[in-house]
Amino acid sequence: MSQPNVTIRGPEVPNTPGSLDPVFTVEDLSVFYGDYEAVRNVDMMIGRREITAMIGPSGCGKSTVLRCFNRMNDLIPGAHIKGKILYHDENLYGDHVDPIEVRRRIGMVFQKPNPFPKSIYENVAYGPKVNGIKRNMDTVVEEALTKAALWDEVKDKLKQNALSLSGGQQQRLCIARAIAVKPEVILMDEPCSALDPIATTKIEDLMQELRQEYTILIVTHNMQQAARVSDRTAFFTAEVDDAGVRHGRLVEFDQTTRIFTKPSDKRTEDYITGRFG
Amino acid sequence: MSAPANAAAPGKSLARSRPRYGEYLIKAILLIAALVSIATTVGIVTALVEPTIEFFSEVSLGQFFGSTTWGPLFNPPAFGVWPIIVATLEITLIAIIVAVPLGLAAAIFLSEYATPRVRRICKPILEVLAGVPTVVFGFFALTFVTPLLKDWFPFLELESKNALSAGLLVGVMIIPIVASLSEDAMTAVPNGLREGSFALGASKMITSVRVVVPAAFSGIVAAVILAISRAAGETMIVAIAGGFKSVFTLNPADEMATMAAFIAQAGSGDASVGSIPYKTIFAVGSLLFIMTFAMNYVSARMVQKYREVYE
Repeated sequence: MSQPNVTIRGPEVPNTPGSLDPVFTVEDLSVFYGDYEAVRNVDMMIGRREITAMIGPSGCGKSTVLRCFNRMNDLIPGAHIKGKILYHDENLYGDHVDPIEVRRRIGMVFQKPNPFPKSIYENVAYGPKVNGIKRNMDTVVEEALTKAALWDEVKDKLKQNALSLSGGQQQRLCIARAIAVKPEVILMDEPCSALDPIATTKIEDLMQELRQEYTILIVTHNMQQAARVSDRTAFFTAEVDDAGVRHGRLVEFDQTTRIFTKPSDKRTEDYITGRFG
Repeated sequence: MSAPANAAAPGKSLARSRPRYGEYLIKAILLIAALVSIATTVGIVTALVEPTIEFFSEVSLGQFFGSTTWGPLFNPPAFGVWPIIVATLEITLIAIIVAVPLGLAAAIFLSEYATPRVRRICKPILEVLAGVPTVVFGFFALTFVTPLLKDWFPFLELESKNALSAGLLVGVMIIPIVASLSEDAMTAVPNGLREGSFALGASKMITSVRVVVPAAFSGIVAAVILAISRAAGETMIVAIAGGFKSVFTLNPADEMATMAAFIAQAGSGDASVGSIPYKTIFAVGSLLFIMTFAMNYVSARMVQKYREVYE
């Protein structure tokens, strides 16, 4: 096959699939909006302190799957799932599970930077306050902003409105906001698609830093980005079944190096070489 | 007036082939519609100014604002305007105390909690409340609420016409204004902000109170100010349930006439054109107009500020 012209991260993750230390285990997951089955039969594992990228053409269900990991889909009337997502052996969709508790452990960064129309400080302090942390708020805020590589840029204007920041800074503020509640996992839904290339580079560098401490899942429609930042890649596509209904399907899930150099599925190869999508 | 299919064919001019009279006509009609309300406002101001000036040439500003005895229809007349200003403010305050919590709660419910189906049922009911003629509220206050309050709280020693019942019902009357405009402001808050809050582990209540309401705050303030203007100018309820007696008092159990009630009373009485009581109507009207105009101005500025946030 012809090599895609992209940089690919070195094989830092162990080669054997068994060596993956799973934070999430997805078992036969299907996601429904009402009667419509948007995503069908997904099986995958998310490794601890790895970056897992989810790529694929529009409408392949990658964002839908991402939003299952912190139960954001619960907010959409009629959305439900079949199958299981195990988070450290606990079913995320078990009867006893409180979605609010889930979201405190599993943070999220959105496609469009969405800081609250409050001060920079208040944005970061919001999560900890909501979660009942009252003491040492200044330290919490500084720590989160430092980890998000934003502290030096904003330390003199913490009282300013967050909307006065640039798009890239706003997105890093949203990352700081997510970090401030000390999650284990950070979900990123196309975090750079509204940003310019320089801001994108900063976020990608930041992801490498965060990888030391957090498990990261990123949805991206930018293949190069997936190749640059991720350890493992899941390729999704949309398929039409016998009844003529479109469903998102997971085609291939493997180390990023393998996906981009010797994918085992023809559809993956077509996609990454740019023959479709 | 769709162009023929071959209009773009070479050789044909791009100039308009026929004048569009309909366009001019519609533009003219729309302009007239806009002018009517402007003209009315200008007309009201003009009509108010002259008798008001005449009034103040006979009654000094010192008499008007420097005394607390009001009785322009008595003999001898007294022109201390404070009793009716105080009554107006007091009834407005009672109304706001009723309408803001209830209206805001209704808005939060409709915008954040209600399913589309519940909203579809509840919103028209709320709008029906806005459509009830105020005279109905007035008689309801006089014949139902006042006796009820007398029964339940005898220690208040309510007069049969009193500011309390009138204020409560004015409050009920303006709930739909507060609720509906606040709901609009809250629905306009981008969904991304809610998601951002939920993703941090915030509950619906916290998200509503700490994110949505602050983000919609200027819109909510505008709604409340508009409601205050409506309450201050409300006539029928206060005339029926609040009474016409002008005593300088703060006790809501007492009968008290508001500015609007005075205008209704004097205007429907036998004040002859050109007499001092007649001119008093216009002086009080001017004052009320200035008060509500000032509040509407603040409201408009708030709405403007609110627009800047999301556009």
